[in-house]
Amino acid sequence: MAGIADFLDSLIGGFDLICFCLAIGGLFWGLFLLRPWENAGTSNSPLNNALLQKTVALIYKGGFWLVAAQLFKIVLKIWLMVAVLERWPFPEFAETTQFIGGMVRAFLTALMAGYCYYILSKHPFSKQHWLTAGLVALPMIISGAWLVHAAGRFDNRILLMSLTVIHQLAAAAWVGGIFQLVNVWLLQRDNKVPEQSWPLLLRRFSIFGIISVGLILLSGLPISLQYIDSWNGLIGTGYGNLLMVKVVLLSLALGFAWLNRSAVLQFVGYGNDYALKNRVPYYVQAETLVLVILLFTAASLASQPPAIDIPDLTASWQEVLDTFTPRFPRTSSPTHTDLIAGEAGRVAIIGQTPSMAATEWSNYNHNIAGIFLTVMSIFAMVSYVKYLPAPLSAIDKYVHLTKYWPLGFVCLGIFLFFRSDAETWPLGPIGFWESTFNNGEVLQHRIATLLVLVLGFMELAARVTKNPDSKLPYVFPILAAFGGLMLLTHSHVGFQAKSAFLIQVGHTSMGIFALILSCGRWLELKLDSPGKDIAGFISVFALFQMGLILMFYLEPLY
Amino acid sequence: MMKKIFSSILLLMLLAQTHNLYAHAVITDYSLKITPIHANKPDQVELSFNSKIELGLSQVFLVRKGDKHELLEVTNGKKQGQIIIHIPALEAGDYALRFKVFAADGHLTEDIIRFKVSH
Repeated sequence: MAGIADFLDSLIGGFDLICFCLAIGGLFWGLFLLRPWENAGTSNSPLNNALLQKTVALIYKGGFWLVAAQLFKIVLKIWLMVAVLERWPFPEFAETTQFIGGMVRAFLTALMAGYCYYILSKHPFSKQHWLTAGLVALPMIISGAWLVHAAGRFDNRILLMSLTVIHQLAAAAWVGGIFQLVNVWLLQRDNKVPEQSWPLLLRRFSIFGIISVGLILLSGLPISLQYIDSWNGLIGTGYGNLLMVKVVLLSLALGFAWLNRSAVLQFVGYGNDYALKNRVPYYVQAETLVLVILLFTAASLASQPPAIDIPDLTASWQEVLDTFTPRFPRTSSPTHTDLIAGEAGRVAIIGQTPSMAATEWSNYNHNIAGIFLTVMSIFAMVSYVKYLPAPLSAIDKYVHLTKYWPLGFVCLGIFLFFRSDAETWPLGPIGFWESTFNNGEVLQHRIATLLVLVLGFMELAARVTKNPDSKLPYVFPILAAFGGLMLLTHSHVGFQAKSAFLIQVGHTSMGIFALILSCGRWLELKLDSPGKDIAGFISVFALFQMGLILMFYLEPLY
Repeated sequence: MMKKIFSSILLLMLLAQTHNLYAHAVITDYSLKITPIHANKPDQVELSFNSKIELGLSQVFLVRKGDKHELLEVTNGKKQGQIIIHIPALEAGDYALRFKVFAADGHLTEDIIRFKVSH
């Protein structure tokens, strides 16, 4: 149960940031982009009441959800402490900064959300009420400073707390703005706002977004320099690794932002609104997905010990590079007997003995899974080829069969079923039902295996369906994004032992590729040609990269 | 129907994750590095963390041969982030300190330090 509580704890951190962006980003959006008081009373204004009502609704809903998230975080901490310490944590917990700060922040957030719900929603065109909402939000924003990790530091505490809050505000302005853009597009799709709202707000947000990103970088850089004091710290620690993941995700999101800005400039310069209407909405969706994952990664980063604190546990760049070095995959597994024989020594605290069999067993599992993914992705890439080159034209007639590549997931699921839990049926002595319901970890593996199987069947059905309105194709990108999220948030490991970090670095890389896989497939389903084909190919190429990482995976001995 | 499928899958994926206890607080120094414990004599071990520690919500266990656990008394040290562990008299052999600490930043941290007691 502690595992589930801790996992939820890491997820709730990301959810908390999403709600914060909805609430605070929405306020920025209203105050700096919409400026509805400038259009109050004018007919044919692109900012009508429907848009403002929805904008304010997103703000107070984000606020109320933030209250719930904040309270749930406290409940999770209590749950976690009960599970780990095996005792009730009160009254001590009630005296901690986390408890007091959390309760205060929840109260102040409720105040802000309540004001928006009861007052601002009734006067959405009033400058005074927007300004008041901003003022009411201020104490809540400041109170968050005591809940960030800088609050527990000894050096430069106030500076780090302040910079973190500014960083969060800038991120909220950008991400919250993107959420609002999605909202505008949905309203326009349903003909609830005038047609000119979309290009107008996109144009305004374009500049605002650039300023926000600038602030994110300006505040983020000194924080990073405080927590990472060497290149090795950046490359060879979990903190540095997740920071690099954040930079990659930021670059991805900026790539979409650039596409959006290009479309805006095309519209402003030449009056061509084709891309603005037919592509930008989907780029914004993909950007939203990337930013949401980025927020979860940011929450995970906060649970990592800073690189500056663990110089003795930092991996060298050579060790990191070695993790990705191509090598022959392991195609032979140690025997089940050898594996079981080494387990007692491996998990012992006193007299712990690393188990070579366990390492090789794990390498075999990862490498074979990598072969599955690599082969599947090659078939998937071939499925995008219209005609094979002349020397291969004889097999042209078989190319259409490559669309069945998701069957590989089914095979992978079967493989995982046999290999995940060596001590249980069918390989080990513990029965299927007994192991499934008496051991949480085995249950989790069984569910994961089932999911891979389901994913295979669903994507297969999606690729062969003749129904153009089928929703099945959307299952895959959503699950892939969720898989990426899991890989990124799951990656931070206890105490940064070097071996644990070296396992993490491969998993975070796969997390990024899973996100690319997801965005690519999503855009393939949404865009027109040639964008859809390019996106689709990039998507399966990302799967190929994941396959390679797994195929060359080499677990440190521990 | 699709929404139900999505929700079920997402829920299942949530449950399908295993997780360790993660940490922001780490040990930056400990006295065992330079001052070993000698046999048959009570002693103290100092642990220094990179973050403030909530002592009332922290536990330290002595682990003996056969992974037998014994809860130890812990007090605050002189410096910020420092705790003192009171070790009973031990026979020569291999031991470990297993601790679970709640840091001021809200993270619960688990770790193990192995050590040897000699005459």
